[in-house]
Amino acid sequence: MLAVIVPLLLINFVALAGLYFGIWSKVLETFSNEQTLNDLVTASRMVEYDQARHPAPNRNFSSLSFFMQTGKLSQRQREIFKGILDETNRSLLWKFSLLLFFLAWGTIFISHKIAGPLFRFSKAFNEVEAGDYRSRVILRKLDEGHPVAQEFNEAMEKTDHFLSDLKTLVQEKDAPQAVTKIKEKLSTVQTSANV
Amino acid sequence: MFKRLICFLLGFSLIFPLFPLPLLAFEPSAEDRILLNKIEKDTFQYFTRLSDKITGLTRDSSRAGSPSSVASTGFALAAYAIGGSRGWIAQDYAYARILTTLQTLRRKAAHQQGVFYHFLDVRTGNRVWGSEASSIDTALAVAGALLTARYYPGTEIEKLAREIYERVNWKWMMNGSDFICMGWTPEGKFLPYYWDSYNELMILVALAIGSPTFPVPPGAWERWLRPEGDYNNHKIVYASTGSLFTYQFSHAYIDFRKLDDRGINFFENSREATLANRDYSMSFLGQYKGYSESSWGLSASLGPGGYKAYGGKPGGGLQDGTVAPYAALSSIVFTPEFSTKAARFFYDSYQKELYGNFGFRDAFNLDKQWWSDEYLGIDQGITLLMLENYLNGEIVWKKFMELPAIKKWIELTGLGTRSASTAVN
Repeated sequence: MLAVIVPLLLINFVALAGLYFGIWSKVLETFSNEQTLNDLVTASRMVEYDQARHPAPNRNFSSLSFFMQTGKLSQRQREIFKGILDETNRSLLWKFSLLLFFLAWGTIFISHKIAGPLFRFSKAFNEVEAGDYRSRVILRKLDEGHPVAQEFNEAMEKTDHFLSDLKTLVQEKDAPQAVTKIKEKLSTVQTSANV
Repeated sequence: MFKRLICFLLGFSLIFPLFPLPLLAFEPSAEDRILLNKIEKDTFQYFTRLSDKITGLTRDSSRAGSPSSVASTGFALAAYAIGGSRGWIAQDYAYARILTTLQTLRRKAAHQQGVFYHFLDVRTGNRVWGSEASSIDTALAVAGALLTARYYPGTEIEKLAREIYERVNWKWMMNGSDFICMGWTPEGKFLPYYWDSYNELMILVALAIGSPTFPVPPGAWERWLRPEGDYNNHKIVYASTGSLFTYQFSHAYIDFRKLDDRGINFFENSREATLANRDYSMSFLGQYKGYSESSWGLSASLGPGGYKAYGGKPGGGLQDGTVAPYAALSSIVFTPEFSTKAARFFYDSYQKELYGNFGFRDAFNLDKQWWSDEYLGIDQGITLLMLENYLNGEIVWKKFMELPAIKKWIELTGLGTRSASTAVN
């Protein structure tokens, strides 16, 4: 179990840390460039001049529409930030796809390793309930629960032998001797009918 | 005799309100006059320091990376002429700077049909930021150029200024409509905005009608809307934003005191607009820390949230506690007492935060503890020209009103002949 969870956690951690530092280092690099800063301020100012002179144009739906804060930005600022957002989204797309793949794979892998054995146990219990004591739980190599399955199978094997012996004794011709043997065998079993 | 005197005084008191008050109705103290002169001289420095030495193009703002604005460049031309005449810079230096700038505008600055692009590269004169060929900014540049022609008549300056003016195809800028279009871009052609209602458009329409080469019909003056509104008993023709600069820009060059526009005197209108603007600020006393009797001025300016068309009422009335000192100062010809008090207050109270090498920075907002660290070229320009008119014998008005183009505009629109009764001085 640990052999699976630890690598998965490591992969996710590395991917998220890479994304976090990658995005912010790029943003900080962009905004700490003096020329870019000046250009951004100038671009915003140009639009503010226009807005002061002309009515503001209607805003259309865009990737920025999800961010309420951009409502306070000028049109030009919105254009600039939309450009940054769209570019970031594009660069993040394949990284998120990879992350999603790993997460999906991990989820399916783990669920199969646990859900598979549980299904097999459930099926075995149903068979026992129906009276088939030959039922055994057979797990795949990488499934979880091998020790439990082994103990379950050993218990089932004992019960199967016990019941098989009883069935054999019932078929003996010497009935009194058979009853004595059956009583002897049953005396070793603890049930709710014990007096 | 006594009855006649009573009748004369009664008649005078009834007629007097029709007359615009002369500028010198309020005389600032010697100290205030010194301060106003200092502000004008410091404001002037913006243009000598923030204009390119080779092209002469003036930056739109003192902020690093700012492109040049053609309107600021126009104000710079006027500033050099004023600075030279006032002795702040040597006359030959002023002449050289003006000549350089006019040569750039004539030969290098990007334009369409003579209409300059709003923003130009300081070094090359190329169009930048996808800006539009702007009619109002061209008008402000041409006005500055024509003013220099009056300061230096019979020189190369006059020739270049005339060529720049005569090259502008104002008629083309009407785009077949009744109004002058605000702008044109190579990408989208004419902008869907026209100068069709009162604001800073008067200087533009005046120059367009007065053009010797591509004049617009005189009817273009009649057609723009003159919406009337009232705030606190100040009934005015108002601009949609209510920004104070809209009531000031045309008055930097044109003396409207003797001009009557179908019963409207736009000098009086601007005075009432200034008073309304001040009253509007005062209505927020207690709500915003920045407003007081001596701290007012709602006009397009920088603010905590960027450049906005702040203004009073009637009009948009956008305000957030931001005060633009240039707005109060640039109304000094309309409201000398209030504007002088405002200048004194701003200087005495906020000198450290607000006053720098080029005079008052653009704006401040006490509620948000925000102080502009920038100067804007056009705001510096309007401050300088209005102070010059007020402090130096209305010299800009006198020179500009003598231009043949302005005389032609007045004659064709009948502004000067309609009502001699409203004239002063």
